Amino acid sequence: MTGKNETWVYAEQKAGHASKATLQLLGKAVELGKETGSPTVCVLVGSGAQGVPRELAAYGASKVYVVDDPRLELYQSEAYASVVAGLVKEHCPEIFLFAATDVGEDLAPRVAAKVGTGLTAHCIDLRIEKRDGVPLLHQTVPAWGGGMRIDIVCPKHRPQMATVKPGVFDLPVPKSDSNAEVVDVPAQLNEKHFRARTIEVKEEAQRETPLTEADAVVAVGWGAYSLGGIQCPQELAEAVCGTLAGTRPMVDSGWIPPDRMVGQSGKVVSSRLFISLGASGAMHFTSGFERAKFVVAVDQNPKAPIFQVADIGIVGDLREVLPCLTEEIKKQKSSKG
Amino acid sequence: MDIVVCIKQVPDPEHFSKIVLDAKTKLVRREGIPVVVNQVDKHALEAALQIREKFSGRVTVISMGPPQAREAIEEAFAMGADGGVLLSDRAFAGADSLTTAYTLAQAIKKFSPFDLILLGNETADSGTRQVAPQLAEFLDVPHVTNVRTIGFNSGDTLIVERSMENGHMKIEVRLPAVLAVNRTINEPRIPSVIDIMQVATKEIKVCGLADLGLSSEDVGLVGSPTQMANLFESRRERRREILDGAAVTAARQAVERLRELNAL
Amino acid sequence: MDFSFSREQEMLKKAVRGFAESNVAPRVPELEQKGAFPFDLVKGMGQMGLLGLTNSRPYGGTGMGYMARTIAIEEVSRIYPSLGFFFQAGNLFMFAVEGFGSEDQKRKYLPDLCKGTKISSFGVTEQMGGSDPSAMMTTSKLDGESYVVNGRKSFITNVEVADTLGFVAKTGDSFSVFFVEKGTKGYEVTRREPRPGLRCMPVNELVFSNCKIPKGNLVGEEGRGMAIAITTISVIGRTGAAGVALGAAQGAFEGAAKFCNGRVMYGKPISNLQAIQFMLADMSTDIEASRWLCYRPAWLLDQGKNPREIGPDIARSKLFAVDMALRTCLKAQEVMGAYGQSPEYRVEIFLRDAIELLTAGGTQEIMRLTVGRALAS
Repeated sequence: MTGKNETWVYAEQKAGHASKATLQLLGKAVELGKETGSPTVCVLVGSGAQGVPRELAAYGASKVYVVDDPRLELYQSEAYASVVAGLVKEHCPEIFLFAATDVGEDLAPRVAAKVGTGLTAHCIDLRIEKRDGVPLLHQTVPAWGGGMRIDIVCPKHRPQMATVKPGVFDLPVPKSDSNAEVVDVPAQLNEKHFRARTIEVKEEAQRETPLTEADAVVAVGWGAYSLGGIQCPQELAEAVCGTLAGTRPMVDSGWIPPDRMVGQSGKVVSSRLFISLGASGAMHFTSGFERAKFVVAVDQNPKAPIFQVADIGIVGDLREVLPCLTEEIKKQKSSKG
Repeated sequence: MDIVVCIKQVPDPEHFSKIVLDAKTKLVRREGIPVVVNQVDKHALEAALQIREKFSGRVTVISMGPPQAREAIEEAFAMGADGGVLLSDRAFAGADSLTTAYTLAQAIKKFSPFDLILLGNETADSGTRQVAPQLAEFLDVPHVTNVRTIGFNSGDTLIVERSMENGHMKIEVRLPAVLAVNRTINEPRIPSVIDIMQVATKEIKVCGLADLGLSSEDVGLVGSPTQMANLFESRRERRREILDGAAVTAARQAVERLRELNAL
Repeated sequence: MDFSFSREQEMLKKAVRGFAESNVAPRVPELEQKGAFPFDLVKGMGQMGLLGLTNSRPYGGTGMGYMARTIAIEEVSRIYPSLGFFFQAGNLFMFAVEGFGSEDQKRKYLPDLCKGTKISSFGVTEQMGGSDPSAMMTTSKLDGESYVVNGRKSFITNVEVADTLGFVAKTGDSFSVFFVEKGTKGYEVTRREPRPGLRCMPVNELVFSNCKIPKGNLVGEEGRGMAIAITTISVIGRTGAAGVALGAAQGAFEGAAKFCNGRVMYGKPISNLQAIQFMLADMSTDIEASRWLCYRPAWLLDQGKNPREIGPDIARSKLFAVDMALRTCLKAQEVMGAYGQSPEYRVEIFLRDAIELLTAGGTQEIMRLTVGRALAS
């Protein structure tokens, strides 16, 4: 198969701006492109996103295919898959990356099936390694509950397609003077492309995510009693977009509802981030977050067992540390965009 | 209403930590790890059974896997499925999502006329979430993933809600279609004794490569575009980095480290 | 010889485990605290068909057998022995009616009891104790179309919540089995006994004072009551207590093993210490021995063996299971140190429940007597 030596990124936009996940992906695509000597190209599908190509250019896109059509204002699975697969078939890029978002996860598989190529889901690393002199995209995915990593390659089919969860790659620094070639592509659609028709997209007031599915969890232990209430921990939970939970004593004391108890007789969480505040680290508590990816613990006793099961331990008085921590995280988040 | 439910037998996620890498063969060792029906697949089956109870019809489960995957189909029978197809052949082993979807599609075309196909949104072992859209593509029908409610409109149209990160989508779907459901859609029933005792009266149709009339080039590991290049262990050891400076400094350092570790 | 479960039995085990882990486990703290009878969980077990495993289909049962019942008891008790005990207390009257009652009685009472929408209880024990039935003082005299009952029964499980109570009374020189319905004049359930274990199955005293019950409430022939009661207590009561003990021990063992794998001392999980390994090994050996002692009588009953012939087998299984459960729960507490008393691990519940099983279905000494007599003859 002879195609263009290009690295593609599927660009998602919302309210006229490229999504952060797209820009992170774009940063990685540019990096990969440097190794293979390929330009970075974006595909943008939707309606009325005129300003987006300029943004994509600032983050490294040298060309943007724009499919702008009022029928595509909302995500339409078959119609989107059809126009994207059409572009892939026409230009056959080497690599095509999607963010593993609500849209990306749904769209990429169908596009891959239309094109007849491989797709690797939820990569945590992407790099180029040569095999028999041919550069191959090595796509690292976690396996078996995170205990193992697998490198996946797609040697014979093109493009090499992958999805990446938002936040895996860093947001690159934009260059305001960059320009991208914008290619308008008409959408060729008929009734058949709307057998599944999205009729409404609704944002919901953020419901409390169940603990077991939370992306970040802030858990308070007995030591948080000195705070006089859960307001400060709650603020931290909001800052990390997480759910507030607690140890058994905090549940027994009524600070935390029973369905948010972490531990042996409570819930087992597998969040990306777990922050323990003022828990000393009794085993029936710590067994509840063994599967969390990163653990931060704050306690004033430097010998507390909690620090043995934490990635980062902060020794100090919660009343002093907590406000600083919340502040720093807010700062970090806002600078990230 | 003819409903097909695709289910998969997976290693019990509770025991994932016991799965280790054989240093010599570089293969995963999973002997002695119990297998279960992929949890969210039971929610898909429950949804199918509820639809059948409302509109009558037939629920057929289909599974691809080793011969012992018949246990998964038997469990589906115990919950109330009417028929079962097991796709089992050495040639099917090692399939990636594309080839899995292709093989399932060929079997469904051959054996199971359908109005609706239900799947779990993801499997516990590979978790790609890719099979449903790809299956729909091979069968040339529409698909919706991450479905949390299924409602019936008039005639052959469904109104489904798809969960999204911060809300939902409402989608009108013409049948036949493929829907991948998530765990919020229902609570799967626990089989009753009578249902368990009726399992033996239901028959599992076992099919191999030849029964489906497929070429070994198109299925399993051989037919899969993606391949495993390396497999390595990454045991989770906590870093145990201690910050014991002044509160302001420690907090700043902690957040800095979290950023470096991509934990935010 | 075949030591494997049938496929059906395997699926049943899985289904009951699912029920116990998702429906029962979350309720344990509340039930323990309140000591309230879990009507909804009993109904849930009825809906699943678990309560009528040894009753036949025409009467609402599922007829899957005694092995199946043992599996169900073990799995429920592994999470909450107190609820598992319902297979003991709640199945007694159902067995007596199915085995010895009239067609009318079976059709009228068994379907609701199998469904768990009605509850039954069975009373033999009196204040002078349950082991010597000749000392029984409750009497029942035929007077026209009714029997008139007088006397008291003690330590009767679930009578407080029962719609129907089966009981044994003296009819002249011999004994007979009767039943009385809730609300019958002259039949009164009195004080609840405080108990350390099996907290969600209430145990009460009851009084008959000139209680008139219809002639049709006689189960089986008049005068055959002692044989009926002994068979019922052996086949249901003792197997039930043994199964609960087995499940309780398994639950305690799993809690202890999990604890030992997670508890780190001197830089390693304590399960790496030989002293701990020996204790865990002893516990699992004890449980496994008990398991097969329990399975065998159940299997024999499923083969159609006469219950009277296997009385000693059943007695042995109950004797061993309850002692084993006590040993296991104590060892579990020992390896867990102070955490053994923590509600987090539930081991203390298993221990309290196992203590109650010492007397359920007859004391351990009565079990020894049953075995010993068979050996002597």
